Amino acid sequence: LSFLECSWRFCGRFKALWMKAALPDFKIRELTENPIGGRIIAAFFPPEKERLDFPSFVRILAHFRPIGKNRSRDRAQPEQANSRTGKLKFAFELYDQDRDGKISREELLQVLRAMLGLQVTEEQLRSIAERAIQEADLDGDGAISFDEFKKSLEKVDMEHKMNIRFLK
Amino acid sequence: MSLLLLVFMAVIGSASPDAATGANETLRRPSGHSLDDSHHPRNSSEHRKAFPVLAFNYEHVSKPFVISLWILLALLMKLGFHLIPRVSHIVPESCLLIFVGLLVGGIIKAMDQTPPVLDTKLFFLYLLPPIILDAGYFLPIRPFTENMGTILVFAVVGTLWNAFFIGGMMFAVCQIEAAQVGHVDLLSCLLFGSIISAVDPVAVLAVFEEIHINELLHILVFGESLLNDAVTVVLYHLFEEFAHEGTVTVGDALLGVVSFFVVSVGGVMVGFIYGVLGAFTSRFTSHSRVIEPLFVFLYSYMAYLSAEVFHLSGIMSLIACGVIMRPYVEANISHKSYTTIKYFLKMWSSVSETLIFIFLGVSTVEGPHNWNWIFVIFTLILCLLSRVLGVVGLTFIINKFRIIKLTKKDQFIVAYGGLRGAIAFSLGFLLTDTEKKDMFLTAIITVIFFTVFVQGMTIRPLVELLAVKKKKESKASINEEIHTQFLDHLLTGIEDICGHYGHHHWKDKLNRFNRKYVKKWLIAGDRSSEPQLISFYNKMEMKEAMMLVESGSAAKLYHDNCSSVAFQQRAPPKQRAIPSISKTREQEIRKILRANLQKTRQRLRSYSRHDLFSDPFEDSMSEIRFRKQRVQMERRMSHYLTVPANRQETPSARKVWFEPEHKVYTYDESESPRDGAALETLPDTVSLLSESPQRPGQSSRLRKRGDTEPSANAPDSQEEPQKLSRCFSDPETLQNK
Repeated sequence: LSFLECSWRFCGRFKALWMKAALPDFKIRELTENPIGGRIIAAFFPPEKERLDFPSFVRILAHFRPIGKNRSRDRAQPEQANSRTGKLKFAFELYDQDRDGKISREELLQVLRAMLGLQVTEEQLRSIAERAIQEADLDGDGAISFDEFKKSLEKVDMEHKMNIRFLK
Repeated sequence: MSLLLLVFMAVIGSASPDAATGANETLRRPSGHSLDDSHHPRNSSEHRKAFPVLAFNYEHVSKPFVISLWILLALLMKLGFHLIPRVSHIVPESCLLIFVGLLVGGIIKAMDQTPPVLDTKLFFLYLLPPIILDAGYFLPIRPFTENMGTILVFAVVGTLWNAFFIGGMMFAVCQIEAAQVGHVDLLSCLLFGSIISAVDPVAVLAVFEEIHINELLHILVFGESLLNDAVTVVLYHLFEEFAHEGTVTVGDALLGVVSFFVVSVGGVMVGFIYGVLGAFTSRFTSHSRVIEPLFVFLYSYMAYLSAEVFHLSGIMSLIACGVIMRPYVEANISHKSYTTIKYFLKMWSSVSETLIFIFLGVSTVEGPHNWNWIFVIFTLILCLLSRVLGVVGLTFIINKFRIIKLTKKDQFIVAYGGLRGAIAFSLGFLLTDTEKKDMFLTAIITVIFFTVFVQGMTIRPLVELLAVKKKKESKASINEEIHTQFLDHLLTGIEDICGHYGHHHWKDKLNRFNRKYVKKWLIAGDRSSEPQLISFYNKMEMKEAMMLVESGSAAKLYHDNCSSVAFQQRAPPKQRAIPSISKTREQEIRKILRANLQKTRQRLRSYSRHDLFSDPFEDSMSEIRFRKQRVQMERRMSHYLTVPANRQETPSARKVWFEPEHKVYTYDESESPRDGAALETLPDTVSLLSESPQRPGQSSRLRKRGDTEPSANAPDSQEEPQKLSRCFSDPETLQNK
């Protein structure tokens, strides 16, 4: 894991955070205000495990590295975590809580409910979810698969959206 | 044909400025005569002349007449260009307009008249603000803020570099014996450098508008041209003061730096204040919709003028005002006002741009010129050189901080797009020292011509040649909006975990602050708590509804929906019982319907100049949207077979276009649970433009359908006409049922 070596550069900052995380009452205040805070935290912990070890932590954060120049060298390797597809896959998994490879209408509704909160009626949420699925769903199965997700975001500039600068 | 028109207009145009300037006597005499003639019958009865039926009194209207004539000329030219397709494809409009200006100036000069010059006051106070306001109001915020660092570096550091490089090198050039310009001292050269170094927003807009380059490059060059105004203002005033003094001390230089910050930040502050005022005012305009656009225009213009009073950067103030005002104003004003603002701004900026270029051409012919070969040639070369060096050097530094690097192609386009324009000319015109002024002006005009003609014409083929990415026309997608917001939240969360207070963190904080406090103050009614996703969704639905109405395929939509509903119906072939409506409910409904019918018959439309009538287009638009939502609602109800809890809860979209009839309509609708057969009757589209009494008729129709339809079968198209004929009944007949 070459990026691990890079990230050890910022060891100090991670270590401090790590100490905080190791405590049983791990709370980051801002995350409670964040509508999808719960999902983010859940994404860090691998399934069925209660504790998070450092390599897994770093592995998740690796998704947010800016895309570097050495992409071409690693063509032989499987899909890199911080490539565009890797980033999209991470985002997709945050939507798809039951891991069936598709974002169903219910899952989309849950996300919308979390983001928009109590300010909108159920009707509006449903119509938005309906429309979103109508737009993205190309094979007509009523749910958004990973490819459809990728396609609907092809115009969005991922490089700016999913990057934390200091992780380079 | 257009040439003839041109010559004709030019002759008239030249004839009229004479009377305005009073230079020619021939026209004055007839007007003098008529004055005498009209006076005579009143004053003396001895000299009885016939009452002048037709008199020529030009003096009276000369000023507005001339102005209107010039504007008309400019616009006719603009029209003319598009009639000649070949030319307008190769040559950008700005070049053609300057050319026309040259022609007109030449003709006027040939007639020995004095053509109107591009007066500095006219330019800075009347011609420039509309263009800048148009640019600022419609500035794409996201790319602008994302590239803000780069833009600022280019604007500030780049312009400074340009000014000092050109000024310094020109001073060196002036020392050459052969040039005979040894009398130009360093400070004057620096002044000249500062005038000519600024990239001009008008020229950039005019040229870049036509080449449809990708968003990033467009915003880089354009943003730079807007933000370098502060630097230009400071440098200009600085060097002008010093040029008079003759010497400069370190203290003065420091003051200059301080002045820069004051000018730029001050300008933004002034714009900010006026923007907030404008947004606040728009909160209360719900009863006088016709004057809403005026508030936007006036507040922005005041922001510009106020900044100019204190010698702050008027352009930055105008941009700040437009940017701040826009989201709140758009949430408050009606759709019509929004369209009005959009079109007025485009119209004014178009006229201004045209006039500027024409006047530039005319002023060129006018002179006075002092052509000095070496001075001009070196100016040109140095301008290009300094631009290229500046861009390359700065990009090298900037790329270390950017995520998306600027490639060589990008750098080339940015360097090539550094056009000079009318601002440089006007600033040069403001100079007071006549001897050097002429020389400077000549050089400035040459540079402007070169950049606009040569660079403007060749940039399009170069863009094609280098295969620079073009602007992608993308349809607004709700998916993109949802996912973008989702990713914003995700990134904010991750940043919180890392403890890294980055871009997203501050953006999130700003959004939160905006939602909690600012929106409550500046947005009227309950739209203040409408989340961004909802307004986006509503806008999209509106656009679609408008498109549908325009293409006249409203009927098609409902067939499509019906068929899709039908498909869904076939999937679960359950038999559903229809709950019947209680008698009291029926009574209530009938009472309401009848009351409403009476109301609509009695309502007289009184004429008032200050009211905007709701026009059928808007009605049909809202109808379609409304019906679409109903279809969806019905579809959902068919799945769940629950009477929705709060019937009065209509999506906020409907609230915007509320009318009493619609209210009743909704209430009635949701009363009778559908069995999924969403029959939108065809006559709806026909009766769209007809009177309102139809609407209660419709609701009763639908209610009837709810009662009569026995099973969950797909709607039969043949059944429809039958039902329709039955349904054109008076609500009163329902009593018989």
